[in-house]
Formats: sequence, structure tokens, C-alpha cells
Amino acid sequence: MLQDRNQNNSNQACGDFEERLVLLAAGELTPDEAADVADHLAHCARCSTALECEQEFVALLPQTRIEPDAALLASCRSGLEDALDLQEERSWARRIANIFVPAGGLTPRPAWSAALLVMIGFSVGILGPRLLQHPRTGPDSSKSIVSTETTGPGNITPDPVTEGGVMPIDLHSAQVAGINVMRSGGGEPPQIELQMKARQPFRVQGTVNNPDVKGVLLNILRNSDRFDPDVRLDAVDLLRAKNNDPEVRSALCHVVHTDSNAAVRLKALEALNGAEPQDLVRQTLLDALVDDRNPGVRVEAINTLRSMAAQGKVVSDDHMLAVLRDRMQKDPNTYIRLQSAAAIRDLGPSEKF
Amino acid sequence: MGMSVALDGVARQAAAAKLVEEQGLVRSAQAGDRLAFEELVHRYDREVLRLALNLVHRSEDARDIYQESFMRVYKNLHRFRFECSFYTWLYRIVTNVALDHLRRRTSRREDQAPVPEEAEGGTRDFFDRQPEVRPAANPERSLLGQELGQHISAALKRLSPRERMVFEMKHYQGLKLRAIGDMLGTSEETVKNSLFRATRKLRASLDCMR
Repeated sequence: MLQDRNQNNSNQACGDFEERLVLLAAGELTPDEAADVADHLAHCARCSTALECEQEFVALLPQTRIEPDAALLASCRSGLEDALDLQEERSWARRIANIFVPAGGLTPRPAWSAALLVMIGFSVGILGPRLLQHPRTGPDSSKSIVSTETTGPGNITPDPVTEGGVMPIDLHSAQVAGINVMRSGGGEPPQIELQMKARQPFRVQGTVNNPDVKGVLLNILRNSDRFDPDVRLDAVDLLRAKNNDPEVRSALCHVVHTDSNAAVRLKALEALNGAEPQDLVRQTLLDALVDDRNPGVRVEAINTLRSMAAQGKVVSDDHMLAVLRDRMQKDPNTYIRLQSAAAIRDLGPSEKF
Repeated sequence: MGMSVALDGVARQAAAAKLVEEQGLVRSAQAGDRLAFEELVHRYDREVLRLALNLVHRSEDARDIYQESFMRVYKNLHRFRFECSFYTWLYRIVTNVALDHLRRRTSRREDQAPVPEEAEGGTRDFFDRQPEVRPAANPERSLLGQELGQHISAALKRLSPRERMVFEMKHYQGLKLRAIGDMLGTSEETVKNSLFRATRKLRASLDCMR
């Protein structure tokens, strides 16, 4: 009876080990688990045989693997390129169609669509005549207002509405519909065209040195909830050339702290690289390193800090070293921990840590 | 010991540098850089196609999985928040697309394996009568490997889509079960159970075929 019970136990034990043998052959056991199985195998011939079969089976599997040939891969890639081209064309067509046609989400709801159309009709009928009675005054009210760059005596073009000055733009109501950039060679700043949506659409043109252009771009960064991420990304990219301007620097730091989009925050951090090491910039980088939940942003922050340190633009102090030590020990991202340690080595006093 | 630690450190730094470079590519692609997106595709598309091909064994179906996966990546890249690696996020999409495909296939009558007919003078293997030529026929593969491959292919069809996915990703893609769980949105324990069930079913099917 004892022998029977022992036999049952050994069968049960092998049953318990069956799954572990599969995982051992697949290389998925921890060292402790593998040692436990090895102890069992030392006195169980049945499980030893089972493990050998399992290992033979796993060893044969690579022979049965199908590798895609170059022709199939090339065919897939060209098919994907065609699909991406078509997708981009549709995106452009959809954007143009959305200007004239209500959003597609309304079409499955005919009652709401009808109600909306009636409201639009009433609004146009009531407000249209009033708007038509008060056209914009000026020599050419049908054209967009263009703000020009005054770079020198040969390039001055008088503003048609105001005398030699800057046209005031109501940034509280105007929206940025698009940003076009025309790069110019020879190190000149690019020409920027901002398409503004307002009661009457207009365009603002000039380089980033133009006060109107700069004002609109800064407004985008300070009011991120009103603008699309694409527009905010472009604004950051264009303002990086002026990252030593106090207003621009302050706006970029504000973006790093507050923008909801990680890609925009990242772009702003990149734009701050090379800015004068004012306390605000340094503190912004440290805050991003500690507080930003996005690991990509924190990686950019530590990289920017190290880059500025390498250029001698950052001087460390106790607070900065304390932050770096904290990140070296606690950041969940291995790269950030390594880079923080390297930054301490570069910036801190020689000490063991 | 010291050398291995130093080499580990060098490898870690290289991996970290590669990660940062890839993050830069992803950010560029998110900003609309088509070339950056295509660079990302070319880094991983061979592996994706290999997974698809080993799952469905048909070039056309593998191509469909490939295209649908990368189009989903393209349309949803703006939602990627760097909370995991791009590779893991990509494979989550690929496995979802592939699982959907497998589930649709199991319910279609034309994908049911017909009963092989015995021709005069000998048996005819089911796979010999399939019009689709295996895209990567390797003349150097041994006869034993070919026969085993055919048996395993037939046995794999008996697995559930999820069991098959776990088996393929483990043994044909070489991924760890923890990574597979992450990609499938489930726990490592669940994936272990799937692998165990898949292996047991395959061994039983192969034993029956002898």
C-alpha cells in the first residue's frame, strides 16, 4: 500500500512537472525553478526521457520555419507605399471637403443633420444682411492683410492699412489655419506665412524677426488648448532660431511644463538646447527630468542637460546634483539612470556614489 | 569578470543609443516625415512578414496582414506615447491583426482541410495538392524537415488562434513569454498556459500522425 501511494505520488509529481519541462525546453524557467526541475530529473527517468523528447522537438522547429523571400518582401513594401500615397491623397481631399461639408459624424444622424442645417440657414438669413451692411473699410478690403518684414532701406514696403507700422492683430479671436514655411538659402531665416482664420481671413507674412509673426507664434505656444498639435510643433520649430529672446525662451519653457502633447514638449526641449543658461531654462530641464511622465521627454531633458554641460553652458549646484542623484537611483528608464550617473561624473565633485 | 561587466556596459549603452535614435525617428514620423516612417517600417517589416507567413502559410494572406498592420501603425502613430518600446507597440498591432485574420479563417469553409484522397498506387499528401507554392522553398532543407514541417503545419491548424500565435511567437520569432504577454495584452502566466496547451496538442497530433 505504501508502495502504491509512493507510485501515485511519483506519477502526480511527474504530472506537476510536465508543464515545467515544456518551459525548461523553451528556456523560460528562472534559475531556481530550473534547479528544482534538475533535482527531480536526477531520480526520475520518465521525466528525463520526456525532457529529451521535448528538447528534440524544439530543436527541429527551426527547420520548419518559413522565411519570406526577397520578392515577397519587395512586393509588400511597394504595396504599402501605394496604400500610403492613397491615404495621403485622401487626407488632403478630406481636409478640403470638410471646409464645405459638415463632419462625417453627422451623416449617420439625419435628424441632427437636418436640425443643424436649419439653424445654419436661419443664422445666415438673420446675420448675413447685417454683415453685408458693414464691409471692412480700406483701400482693398477683399484682399488678405499682409504684414511685411522691414529689414533695410531697400526692403521697406508700406503697410496698406497702417502707416509704416505693424497691423494690430486680435489674437483672442483669430485662429491659425495653417503655417507655410519657405526656406531661403544663404543662412537667411525662412519666410513664414501664417494663414489666420478670423471674421475675415487674412495672412501674416515675414520671418520670425517680424513682430507680428513672432507674436502669433508665441500666442500659439501660450494657448496650446486652442491649437492643433501640428500647429504647435511648427510654432516651436520656427521659434527655436530665437531661443535666446527672453519672450521666446519663456514661452518654450512654458510649453515644456504645460503642453499636453509629448511630441510638442520634446520639440520644445530640443529648441531650448543652446539657449543661454538662464535659471529658467536650467530649472525647466530639471523639472522635465523629474516630473514628465513620458520617458522620451525625460530622455531629451537629460540629453540636453549633458549637451549644455559639455559646452560649458551649465554650472552645477547642490540642487542639480541632488536631482541627478535622484534620477540615477529612481528613474524607471535604464538609459536615464545611466545618463544621470554620467552627468554627475561630468558635473559633480569627485566623490563615490 | 571585469571584462564581461565592461562588455555588458558597452552593450547597454549601445542599446540605449539605439533606443534614443529610434525615438527620434518615431517623433519625426509623428510630425509627418514619411521617410522616417518608412525607415521604421524597414527595420521591422521582415520580422512582421515572417510571423504572418508562418501563421497563414499563404503569400496573399501574409501580404494582407503586413499591409493592414502597417497602415494601422501609420494612422495611429500620433497616439504612441513612448510608454513602451515601438517594437512592442508595433507587435501589439500585428498580433491583433493576425489574430483577427486567423479567427476569420477558421470560420470559413474553404479553409477547412479536405480529407486526402488515396490515389491508385499510393497516398497523396494534402499539401501536395495545394496550388500555393510555399514562398521560401529551401532546396537545402532535409526531407525529414520538409515532412515534419508539413505535419506541424497540419497540427498547428488544430490550435486555437491564440495558442497558435503564442507558439509561433515563441518558437519562430524567438520572443520571451513575458514580451509575448505584453504584446498580446495579457499576463505571462496566461501565455505560459497557452504555450503548454499548444505544445501538448501538437505533440498529441504528431503522435497520431505517425
